[in-house]
Amino acid sequence: MTYTGQCACGAVHFTITAAPIAVRQCWCRRCQKMAGGGPAHNAMFPTEALTITGPVAHTGYTADSGTAIHWDFCPTCGTPLLAYAPVARPHLRAVRLGVLDQPNDLAPQMVIWTGEAPAWAVFDPAIPQYPAAPPAPAPKAN
Amino acid sequence: MPAPYTGGCAGGAVTLHIAAEAFGASQCWCRNCQRICGGGPAHVAIFKAGDLAISGALRTATGTADSGNATHLNFCAACGTQIHGGSAAVPELLAVRLGALDEPHGLSPKMILWTSEAPPWAVFDPALPQFATQPSGPAE
Ligand SMILES: [Zn+2]
Ligand SMILES: [Zn+2]
Ligand SMILES: [Zn+2]
Ligand SMILES: [Zn+2]
Repeated sequence: MTYTGQCACGAVHFTITAAPIAVRQCWCRRCQKMAGGGPAHNAMFPTEALTITGPVAHTGYTADSGTAIHWDFCPTCGTPLLAYAPVARPHLRAVRLGVLDQPNDLAPQMVIWTGEAPAWAVFDPAIPQYPAAPPAPAPKAN
Repeated sequence: MPAPYTGGCAGGAVTLHIAAEAFGASQCWCRNCQRICGGGPAHVAIFKAGDLAISGALRTATGTADSGNATHLNFCAACGTQIHGGSAAVPELLAVRLGALDEPHGLSPKMILWTSEAPPWAVFDPALPQFATQPSGPAE
């Protein structure tokens, strides 16, 4: 399984050599700001599966939970690239779906933070919706 | 919600104030919008450029539309948030990202553009007119 991608100006390139752990659509207010007014779409990959080339700019914030979140974007075109929690979840990188080359087999599997969505938002009725953060994943069976 | 509108970027370095009403708002699924908007569509409201006041540092990415017109997309230098964009064909207008406006602003998309470039999982509001590309006209 390999995904490739790039930012809008082509300065940043992606190669991802694993399947995503989850793909989510997020309507939290901060994502709406970053995503031009609609939801963010994030595919969660194992950190070690990701190779990025090109200049990357960083921003970040502290979530309500106290977790430090980093956001990376292309300094040349502003394209949102990644979100991650380097201390709390160093093994995961959330790749913004827009940078991945199409066609691909990725689609959101759940909609989160519908409680912060604007009144005009429409959600795919075929996938689960959560008003805020999604429930924690079930513990591994083994 | 009547004008004026206020807004800003995700990180707070850029703030904006818009003195007059929008001409309309739309949702765009063109491939470039998906790239700069995290994988979903862009949402913009069209304002007269002269009605916008912006503080904070913006960076500009320039490009060329299919029509040949020069385009500019402007984002926060500190956090990447897309703030507005425009075309050399209509320099008097700016398309402001709905995400950059403070809620509740009362603006909502009135048409959906470039559905032909949307991913298979996209859902569209059935109440809105849809265009496979964009409506014909002078605007980009
Ligand atoms: Zn770029
Ligand atoms: Zn979010
Ligand atoms: Zn577009
Ligand atoms: Zn900013």
